[in-house]
Amino acid sequence: MKGLFIISGLGILAMLAEIFKFKKILYPLVLVGILAAYAMTFVDWNPPTDHLSRLDELTASFSNMIRFDQVALAFSGVILVTAFFWFILASHYFENETNITDHFALVLFALVGALMLTSFSNMTTLFLGVEILSIPMYVLAASRKKDIASNEAGFKYLIMGSFASGFLLFGIALVYGATGTFDLGGISHYISNSHGDVPAFFYAGVIMMLIALCFKVSAAPFHFWAPDVYEGSPTVITALMSTVVKTAAFAALMRLFNVGFHHIGDVWGQIMAVVIGLSLVISNITAASQQSVKRMLAYSSISHAAFMLMGVLANKNGFDSISSILYYSLAYSVGSIASFTVLYNVSKDNNGHIEAFNGLSKRNPFLAVCMVVALLSLAGIPVTAGFFAKYFIFTTLIGTPYKWLLGVAVVTSAIGAYYYFKVLIAMYFKPAISTEPVKVEMSHTVLLIITTLFTLAIGIVPGYIIGIFK
Amino acid sequence: MLGYTITQWLFGILSFLAIMFALMVVFTRNPINSVLYLVLTFFCIAGHYLLLNAQFLAVVHIVVYAGAIMVLFLFVIMLMNLNQDTEPQKTVISKVVAAIAGGLLLFVMVGALRGSEQLQIKQYGHSDIGLVKNLGNVLFHDFLFPFEIASVLLLAAMVGAIMIGKKEIK
Amino acid sequence: MTVFLIYKAILCVLIFAVSLGVAAYATWWERKFAALLQDRKGPNRAGPLGLFQPLADGGKMFMKEEIIPNVSNKFLFILGPSLFLFLSFLTGVLIPWGKDFTYDGHALALQLTDINVGLLYILGVTSIAVYGIIIGGWASNNKYSLLGAVRASSQMISYEIAMGISIIALVITAGGTLSFREILDTQDAGLANICYQPLGFLIFFICALAETNRAPFDLAECETELVGGYHTEYSAFKLGAFMFGEYINMFVSSAIMAGLYFGGYNFPFAKEFYHMIGLEDGSAWISLIGAGVYLIKTFIFISVFMWIRWTLPRFRYDQLMNLGWRVLIPLSLLNLAITVLVEIFIRGTIQL
Repeated sequence: MKGLFIISGLGILAMLAEIFKFKKILYPLVLVGILAAYAMTFVDWNPPTDHLSRLDELTASFSNMIRFDQVALAFSGVILVTAFFWFILASHYFENETNITDHFALVLFALVGALMLTSFSNMTTLFLGVEILSIPMYVLAASRKKDIASNEAGFKYLIMGSFASGFLLFGIALVYGATGTFDLGGISHYISNSHGDVPAFFYAGVIMMLIALCFKVSAAPFHFWAPDVYEGSPTVITALMSTVVKTAAFAALMRLFNVGFHHIGDVWGQIMAVVIGLSLVISNITAASQQSVKRMLAYSSISHAAFMLMGVLANKNGFDSISSILYYSLAYSVGSIASFTVLYNVSKDNNGHIEAFNGLSKRNPFLAVCMVVALLSLAGIPVTAGFFAKYFIFTTLIGTPYKWLLGVAVVTSAIGAYYYFKVLIAMYFKPAISTEPVKVEMSHTVLLIITTLFTLAIGIVPGYIIGIFK
Repeated sequence: MLGYTITQWLFGILSFLAIMFALMVVFTRNPINSVLYLVLTFFCIAGHYLLLNAQFLAVVHIVVYAGAIMVLFLFVIMLMNLNQDTEPQKTVISKVVAAIAGGLLLFVMVGALRGSEQLQIKQYGHSDIGLVKNLGNVLFHDFLFPFEIASVLLLAAMVGAIMIGKKEIK
Repeated sequence: MTVFLIYKAILCVLIFAVSLGVAAYATWWERKFAALLQDRKGPNRAGPLGLFQPLADGGKMFMKEEIIPNVSNKFLFILGPSLFLFLSFLTGVLIPWGKDFTYDGHALALQLTDINVGLLYILGVTSIAVYGIIIGGWASNNKYSLLGAVRASSQMISYEIAMGISIIALVITAGGTLSFREILDTQDAGLANICYQPLGFLIFFICALAETNRAPFDLAECETELVGGYHTEYSAFKLGAFMFGEYINMFVSSAIMAGLYFGGYNFPFAKEFYHMIGLEDGSAWISLIGAGVYLIKTFIFISVFMWIRWTLPRFRYDQLMNLGWRVLIPLSLLNLAITVLVEIFIRGTIQL
């Protein structure tokens, strides 16, 4: 809760920076603010039970619209850490833009939406969270005004996103019509009390909400916007989309389906299983034929979405699937940030064509090594975090009727390894176009060292994250 | 009259008009006419709000949607001078696909809502909830957080629109 | 019930007739007033003091040739002015012209209807009124008309915001009611709202000028730039409908201002006055005197509108937008903040 307030205030502060001329110190201020918000997740972790502070009273008086329980705090933590890394990655981007304060404000507002999505407990806050997250992203995708690809990306994202929001609203309306409440707990209570005697349009509403959220996480067959939007947007914005936005959307999906619609898991489960199967097959096969690394990462993000959906699909009581999704999103976000940092430094002008990576091991061995670790993690090769992420997700599926998905997942992961290795081969075995070494900024070097070590560390000792709720 | 109360008659007529105007929005070729039909649809929906004793919502619906948003739509369409000639012709296959997809959705919705008229209608909240005072109470007590956070949404949209629309100052 | 229905029917016709009559004679008064300010005589041929001039003008409007441009959308071309005229009447239904009186045991109000979101209804109708202009301007299929329509409607939308915010401040002062009637009643007991809301009134007044497209905000029909604005292509009675609608708008918005800020049918020492001439509560005479007072106040406002028209030069378009967005909206927000603070800390009507 406190974190949410800090980030909102920071967003407004960013807008004031233009007027009161403290643009120079805005960037460090934002970094400090995000760290402060992150620290607040630890403060809130074990709420004092004996006496309520003034703020807690206020939180209680929000009539259960939003609830920062431990799950929400954990996902907020992931989002805030990723956001912090992202801001380091984007330092250069913020220096170059003309209206930097607006960019800061938009990113921070998107973060507010992301934090809301981790912690909503009411349909109204869900919808507002989705919109607060999406609208700044539409604008940021189109923020390179002179570039037609960026314009196209923003426009496509806007149209498709609004369409998905329409589905979400329609679904919420139908669910409300049946249950008479917006409250997640109330909906869950209604389902368990009705003993299967639920009107048919309730299910229609649930499915519509599923469609809308699948849209937001870009799972097939609702993924068509993703590659174009990822490719057209400025690289740093793509990094933001595939990390923060994705984690938030998954937190929301998980909260909605594993808390609100937990009791009718077999109804939406079948549809979600089909979505997952389709996403795995389509994304991995299409990604293998891409020539642009940025586009390839877009498809790879679709396949990672499918993996995270498996955790939701398992729909287990207790914290098993939650902690596995948490671990996966952390591993995936950190790996993505690292690979996007390398991509950003390698291909500043040619928009991520794979040729830019040719001979990178000669031009800048450090970048190449970091990219290798990141890609291995994304591909799910042992010792890196990505391996355990996939492993934990797979174990949650055991004991559910959807075991066949494991077979699909293993086969498509093997295909997936192929296109990750394509980049590795380009870096190590193809001759470089130019021998000029690639320069990396100091801040990016530090970021890459941290993310690479982090990927290895949580791969070696995954228990800290997996056991977080125990 | 025929066993229905006046409210039911009004509801029937308003619903018929709303659906008809909504269909006209889609079927009219001229975009200006589409927008005008959409405005009429909004009026019918405002009528429904009135039937639900939600006068505040009815008026706000008209002020915001018909009075402000649709006027901006009209502006844009008028200034772009869109006529039916400039509308790109869609291929037959896309029309067929769209018809099938839309038809399926309609099929599902009709199937899902069929039989729901026998459901016991529960009264959620009290019937005067739409009046200004009650609505204000609900908005500033139960829905205080969404109400306030909506300002962040509007702020973000505003900043975004200005950022996209502003001329780059060199 | 029957008494009630018959009374409402009569009142309906009466208010309709009065609106039309006032609008017609507002044109006469406009010309006379202009003449007064410009030190000339004004219309003086048709009847004494030129009093039949509006009739002659109306007859001329009817008799002129109807021209509908070939390339225009005929239905929309006719719909535009009709809608404009129709909507200009719609706000009139809310105005309470006098106190309730009793007739044959029935309490009757000198008001067509009172709805509890009255002020919002007024805002709603004004926001819809844009359509008449914009449809008419577009259907003319003429660049000048379209530009005029776009100007007029963007102006109306822009000024509606400041107007709405100043109304919110007024509502807070008046004890949180949106009913026109109740706002008038609070002024019966206490001071007129202008004493609490001077800045709010000023904003409302400027916005009302802009909403009615009156000078100095009549850019929509700025002859030097746009020929005749949105009604360039209109002739005969359709042009008449636009002009009539404008005068009715002026009448209604004057009445609204007189009611919201200047007490409407209330006047200082009204109770003592009625007591002195021996009228009891509920007498029809009280309602009638109240209506007369209200009409006089309205008439003063109409005159002020005209006075401004013949005194101030027209704004430039960017000046108009700057005034609306950069001056009036912040000012109205400031007014709102001040109002809330005053209500909390000085008048104490809002408990924290």
